[in-house]
Amino acid sequence: MAEKRYKKLKTAAELQRLMQWHYTRIRLPRLGRPLAWVTSGAPVEILRAMGVIAVYPENYGALCGARREAVSLCEAAEAQGYSPDLCSYARTSLGSVFQSERAPMGGLPQPDLLIACNNICGTVIKWYEAVAAHYEVPLFILDTPFIHGAFEPHALAYVVAQLEAMIRFVERTTGRRLSMKRLERTVRLANETVQLWSEIRALCKARPSPLNAPDLFVNMAPIVVLRGTEGAVRFYRHLKAEVEMRVKNGIGAIPKEKYRLLWDNIAIWHHLYRFYNYFVDYDACFVVDTYTGGWSQEIPEGQSELMEGIATAYATVFLNQSLEYRSHLMERLIREYDVDGFVMHCNRSCKPYSLGQYAIRRRITEGTGVPGLIIESDMCDARAFAAEAVKTRIQAFMETLAERK
Amino acid sequence: MTKPCFLGVDIGSLTVKAVLLDAGQRLLTRGVVPAGYGGQEAAEALVARLLRECGLTPDEIAYTVVTGYGRVRFATADEEVSEISCHARGAFHLCPAVRTVIDIGGQDSKAMRLDAQGRVVDFAMNDKCAAGTGRFLEVMAAALDVPIEQFGALALQSEHPVAISSTCTVFAESEAISHIARGVAKQDVAAGLHQAIASRVLGLAARVGLEAEVMLTGGVALNVGVVAALSRQSNQRITVPADPQTVGALGAALYAWHKGRR
Ligand SMILES: Nc1ncnc2c1ncn2[C@@H]1O[C@H](COP(=O)(O)OP(=O)(O)OP(=O)(O)O)[C@@H](O)[C@H]1O
Ligand code: SF4
Ligand SMILES: [Mg+2]
Repeated sequence: MAEKRYKKLKTAAELQRLMQWHYTRIRLPRLGRPLAWVTSGAPVEILRAMGVIAVYPENYGALCGARREAVSLCEAAEAQGYSPDLCSYARTSLGSVFQSERAPMGGLPQPDLLIACNNICGTVIKWYEAVAAHYEVPLFILDTPFIHGAFEPHALAYVVAQLEAMIRFVERTTGRRLSMKRLERTVRLANETVQLWSEIRALCKARPSPLNAPDLFVNMAPIVVLRGTEGAVRFYRHLKAEVEMRVKNGIGAIPKEKYRLLWDNIAIWHHLYRFYNYFVDYDACFVVDTYTGGWSQEIPEGQSELMEGIATAYATVFLNQSLEYRSHLMERLIREYDVDGFVMHCNRSCKPYSLGQYAIRRRITEGTGVPGLIIESDMCDARAFAAEAVKTRIQAFMETLAERK
Repeated sequence: MTKPCFLGVDIGSLTVKAVLLDAGQRLLTRGVVPAGYGGQEAAEALVARLLRECGLTPDEIAYTVVTGYGRVRFATADEEVSEISCHARGAFHLCPAVRTVIDIGGQDSKAMRLDAQGRVVDFAMNDKCAAGTGRFLEVMAAALDVPIEQFGALALQSEHPVAISSTCTVFAESEAISHIARGVAKQDVAAGLHQAIASRVLGLAARVGLEAEVMLTGGVALNVGVVAALSRQSNQRITVPADPQTVGALGAALYAWHKGRR
């Protein structure tokens, strides 16, 4: 079995229980608590503080992808006229809405309201509009202007106003009030989760790295879905303790770490272990990635207005920032994690993430001397994955790395 | 007494190539045959024939390196090396001034940039699509009813090439056919198709930077129309070695020589 090439984390069972509980809980009678579908970059702290239950269609998409059940859902969406060029999270989600009998767990429970934040992409707007039309439920679009250079004060003021409008929207549609006390408590919990996650990622600066990309991808689920809950904090405390032990005992994620790599873009869910094992065959470990770092923004507490803190944290996620910003970020990670090469997933689904990769790649190699490889695939749609072509590119890339050592 | 030789085999999507070198890196023989299904049988037959021609036995092969799409299916190889490394190695051996190698085969086109030591510093491959490959040219030659061997020469006769806007093989074919139906001369359509493939390949090469000297390898280097279009569009001299199709196999044989020599 390919998976054997990984040292399984002891916390894996706990992670599974936690996520299973989440997906079970959202189906239980909710005693009047409303349920919202939200995008991965939505300010969930506000919803939690208002007692709204949040579910994540993107996480559900990733789950279907990993279980190799996304393609049939994509086809269901395509049969309704959605383009195969549309993001496969959107197609998987829409497919599960149109044909819930095909969908794992029968799809997500029906929403009472929808919150889409365009800090990650513009796709979510049309996707959520389609869901809103299907279920005839209200949708709020939280608009965060793209940041070309600095996050300007007028942009901050605008996003704060957007957050206030969102709060009014939720109050109106659910009849619930936002208590600032509860919000502060949720933000504190969310920050604790984010901090633990950042510390876990930073532990991978060790040689050998205690975690490989698939470990990060599998363990990121709670940071997205359960950020701001006690359960997530507890889990990440345990995970961090285990990863610290690995570092202390010099235990690496893969049997032998010769090359340290950086990963850019969303995971290839349908070939998760198989794909990253192609690299393990060359003793290469992905010690850091840009994707799971997308949830590492703490919300500034105390000093400034809390709403301004939330606005800043959510508006400045890397997908909402310039290519400049993104290449600087990658250059910094390459230095901090002492990386030998980087691999960029040119993800057919995710245009904002994949656009400009050739420019970023050139810039990084010029800036750091570290070579990069671009692999074409799709996070969920396995039809866009050509194993032989991918392997050929990986082999050639690893040969060029070997020549440099 | 046995004299060791070194074998490089390149099992491509359309053709199988093999090169035998002696202990002094001198060429003993080389050959090209159609790959057939999977390429493995064709490769074994080709190697057997080349050995026979040189009066060698299989035991005299000191080391074998295999490359190309069928590399995993060639059981008797000591090692497999990627096409990128093999084409670069072969090209650099033939001409140490080479800094950019472009290989256009049946289903892939690749561009590599080399440093002064012949190491690959960067490479790019076409996305999984037949546009910009030998297969594209074959489909078009068949659509125009011209043998592939004469397709490039036909394009060179054109004085008014048509513009082919589709890069997709299927769409470009229907575009070419509609030009023919409107009475456009065959050579003008052929020239348009050659220009389309050249700009596609140069787009790929631009990802690694087109540094002189540029060498073209792979079967498509035998097509004079492609060579001319590449050279015109890039304003660069394009070097085509003798027998460009076997450069990858030569690189593999050089790897074999390096590994197996003792
Ligand atoms: N005599 C010729 N004149 C013109 N073109 C030719 C000639 N012989 C071969 N070709 C071209 O070369 C192509 C095959 O190239 P090659 O043998 O390098 O491919 P391959 O190595 O099997 O493919 P790949 O490397 O993509 O797997 C054919 O598709 C054809 O277009
Ligand atoms: S397009 Fe990209 S950012 Fe938007 S939902 Fe799809 S994967 Fe997420
Ligand atoms: Mg070839």
